[in-house]
Amino acid sequence: MVKIKYVKRPELENRERIFFIDFIKGMKVTLKNLFRKTVTTYYPFEKLTPPKRFRGTHAHRVKDGTEPPSFKVIEKFMDIKDGESRCVACYMCQQACPVPELFKIEAIQTEDGRKRVVRFDMNLLNCMYCGLCTEACPVDCLIMTDIYETAAYHRGSCVTHMEDMAERAVDFDRRRKDEPDRIWIDDKERSKLWGQIKWS
Amino acid sequence: MELVGTVVVLVIKSVIFILGMFLGAAYLTLLERKFAGHVQQRPGPLHVGPHGFLQPIADALKVLTKEDLVPDNVDKVLFYLASLMAFVPAIMILAVVPFGDPFTIFGVEIKPYITDINVGLLLALAFGSISIYGVIFAGWASNSKYPMIGGLRKAAVLIGYEVALGFALVGPIMMAGSFSLREIVEAQQNIWFIIPNILAFVVVIFCVLAETGRTPFDVQEAEAELVGGYVTEYTGMKFGLFPLAEWYIATFVLSAITVILFFGGWNPIPFLGWLPIPAFVWFFLKVFLLFMFFLWVHWTLPRYRVDQITELAWKVMLPLALANIFIVAIWIIIFG
Ligand code: SF4
Ligand code: SF4
Repeated sequence: MVKIKYVKRPELENRERIFFIDFIKGMKVTLKNLFRKTVTTYYPFEKLTPPKRFRGTHAHRVKDGTEPPSFKVIEKFMDIKDGESRCVACYMCQQACPVPELFKIEAIQTEDGRKRVVRFDMNLLNCMYCGLCTEACPVDCLIMTDIYETAAYHRGSCVTHMEDMAERAVDFDRRRKDEPDRIWIDDKERSKLWGQIKWS
Repeated sequence: MELVGTVVVLVIKSVIFILGMFLGAAYLTLLERKFAGHVQQRPGPLHVGPHGFLQPIADALKVLTKEDLVPDNVDKVLFYLASLMAFVPAIMILAVVPFGDPFTIFGVEIKPYITDINVGLLLALAFGSISIYGVIFAGWASNSKYPMIGGLRKAAVLIGYEVALGFALVGPIMMAGSFSLREIVEAQQNIWFIIPNILAFVVVIFCVLAETGRTPFDVQEAEAELVGGYVTEYTGMKFGLFPLAEWYIATFVLSAITVILFFGGWNPIPFLGWLPIPAFVWFFLKVFLLFMFFLWVHWTLPRYRVDQITELAWKVMLPLALANIFIVAIWIIIFG
């Protein structure tokens, strides 16, 4: 049984009614804000760096020797050169995605019997950036980067392909791979980037 | 010959006043946007010119070059008329607002007002009310439900506050014994009319907010519930005229009239009269402060409902205005 506590709405006192006390309180707040520093970013000229865990445009980590053991196991069955996307076309990301239609993944068998991923397109217009696909990827291939400027002039430009994604991941890893994940630590770097955060 | 001279002088003066008001209103928009921004801890326009100083010009260019759409089923005549009806009377109030005493430069006497008729205040009131019909016409002519609701709301509010406003103005008129705005200012040389008329001042503030459609009484626009209110169907400069007339010109001119009625017009602030500041600077300083006060109220308070406004107008403001007349009458009996 849920207990419900009824609270009586306080009536305005006559004093408050006559002298517009509530008005004056509100106007005090706005006056105080008027002299505060602004909190905005001068956007196209000044950009914030999102946290490392930010869920931005997707990218494909490449085959560069830093793969997890799960990739090593099937490496010899895959036709992937160094510096190419390490995707093994397991369709796990598509399975996990709430909008699976946005993936177009195709793989073929090469002459020597190995598997080669020929197509990996994502229509990011349909993506809600939930990040479930990156959680699902068994070989740590699909990741999300800190890129958030995704606007384009054509709908076609919003479909991202495997090569772009590989490039993006290389760029992202070069920039931020070694950066500690600052979600739970409160160091100087963090307050420089995003200001002091008050934990409630 | 004399007639021609008068006409020429009047035309020149009117053109100066109107151009000044246009430029002034353009920069009042910038002022408002800056103020609104900082109240919400953002900087407002920054990019065009230093600190957004040229923003009004960019805005004007944009609004003037915009495509001017007229929906198919609107009442064409009223639709065009409405934006003028809102704008022209608002700027015509300027005709009776004096900005200072007559003074002489190079031996020419210059009167810093267009005309000083003996019913100036009544004329200002009348123009103010006509300008509201622009809003109501716009609502009617647009042939769309949101503007219609906006126009009807304004009409409902209009009936409420006009009565209170009329009675509130009686106090200062009684003390000055004249309707002429210049004579009202001259009667305040010793003591400002705010002293016994404080109740009337509250009523007038309420009425100016209601007349210019500023929050908390902006029921006719109510962008959260009525799309754009009465301007929903307007585009381009026809749209631009409405906020220009209501939010800037009307607010500015009515602030000027309020300053004249209650704060001694161009008389210096008490105990600061020895400062070498010309009269019209005092006047504009006071008008500016009052305008800022209206902005401050606008960007702080939430919106009233229509029924609450009419209730406030009839049940609170009207009795206050009547009580004010009573107080002023006793004041006049005691102090002469
Ligand atoms: S972020 Fe979410 S919606 Fe977007 S592709 Fe991944 S799983 Fe699908
Ligand atoms: S889950 Fe990873 S490896 Fe599997 S198809 Fe998706 S991106 Fe490729």
